[in-house]
Amino acid sequence: MLPNPLALIAEITHRCPLHCVYCSNPLQMAGPETELETAEWVRVFEQAAEMGVLHVHLTGGEPLARADLVELVSSANRKELYTNLITSGIGLKPERLKALVDAGLDHLQLSFQDSREEAANWIAGTKAHAHKVELARMVREHRIAFTVNLVVHRQNLDHLEEMLEFLESLHPDRMEIAHTQYYGWALKNRASLMPTRAQVEQAVSVIAAAEARLRGKIRIDSVVPDYYAQYPKACMGGWGQKLMLIDPAGRALPCHAADVIPGLHFDNVRDNSLKEIWRDSEAFNRFRGEEWMQEPCRSCERRSVDFGGCRCQALLIAGDAAATDPACSLSPQHELVELATRQSEGSEEHPDPLKLWMYRPNPIHP
Amino acid sequence: MVLFPEGAIRVEGSGLHILQLCDGNRTAREIIAELQANYSMASPEKIHADVVRFLEQLREKRIVDF
Repeated sequence: MLPNPLALIAEITHRCPLHCVYCSNPLQMAGPETELETAEWVRVFEQAAEMGVLHVHLTGGEPLARADLVELVSSANRKELYTNLITSGIGLKPERLKALVDAGLDHLQLSFQDSREEAANWIAGTKAHAHKVELARMVREHRIAFTVNLVVHRQNLDHLEEMLEFLESLHPDRMEIAHTQYYGWALKNRASLMPTRAQVEQAVSVIAAAEARLRGKIRIDSVVPDYYAQYPKACMGGWGQKLMLIDPAGRALPCHAADVIPGLHFDNVRDNSLKEIWRDSEAFNRFRGEEWMQEPCRSCERRSVDFGGCRCQALLIAGDAAATDPACSLSPQHELVELATRQSEGSEEHPDPLKLWMYRPNPIHP
Repeated sequence: MVLFPEGAIRVEGSGLHILQLCDGNRTAREIIAELQANYSMASPEKIHADVVRFLEQLREKRIVDF
């Protein structure tokens, strides 16, 4: 039987004041003129709650760029959805933060790029760091759950310990330490972001030590670097099993990156109800179950554990969305992943990130 | 159902009873005393141990503080 989605990721805009080099937004972003209206988002949240969705993640782009954000939080809260704001915090004034909390915001997740201001601004492509530190202080004046998020990669992993201490000083309830996932802009910048094996191994022990030290005080969740893993990640908890993502223009996707898969049609919440889309849409059904699997997944005993990994990564690296995720050591294309990690070793081959960065731009106005 | 960042737990029975008493005003000590008074069938020591263990588990997930 088809389960209900548990979480709705609402990408309410692709506009963003930051230009992070590892942004997971699609290369083809939705322009502001295509964005859903307030009433359309309110309807989406109502339909989500009726389907049994528990969490709404308001994200982007930068969700604060939407003038109606307080109203959106309020409407999600009215339907008893647990409302999470994933933000860079840029431009958030105390009055608006209070209005968001009063509207029923449950949880705020603030991203950091580094502990060192100059390095952080370099990754974000804008002077954002000092504002974020100030916002973290403001958030703690309210009784909402607070997560700080840090994306780690080759350029910052060597001072991970210092970064964790910095995050701890912001007094969050939770830290999310995420190795860069190579989609969107991060894939463009992969050569400059891919850590070495030594960095990855060092990170594991630094995070384990922090977890032990902070137990009962700060919860740490970490996202593993799948290029270095033996088996792929159980992406999205299975295609079309737990999550729905609505992009700024109202298209419903099974994950952040699904847009890269050619020939996949995404139904729009302007035309269909969430329930219809979840149950009947071609995109959500395309990789449900196991019928679509090829070998070695098809006969693999781990197929019900990791579902063959990530469909988008299979497309991006192996050129076939139905192939085994090349991050899997059993994939016939695994050498392509190994090639990328091997290139990160050996200092003479280090690319010069100052020359090679591609910053994430803003969606283009027509 | 208890909702928290990136997760949810269905709480039933005695766990639900404990959580309902977590109102931001009662201390852990008061909650234990109240449950000991209400559940006279179980030994006060066992109630104390069970409540502390339950709250510790939730604290590790950052759902409660005490």
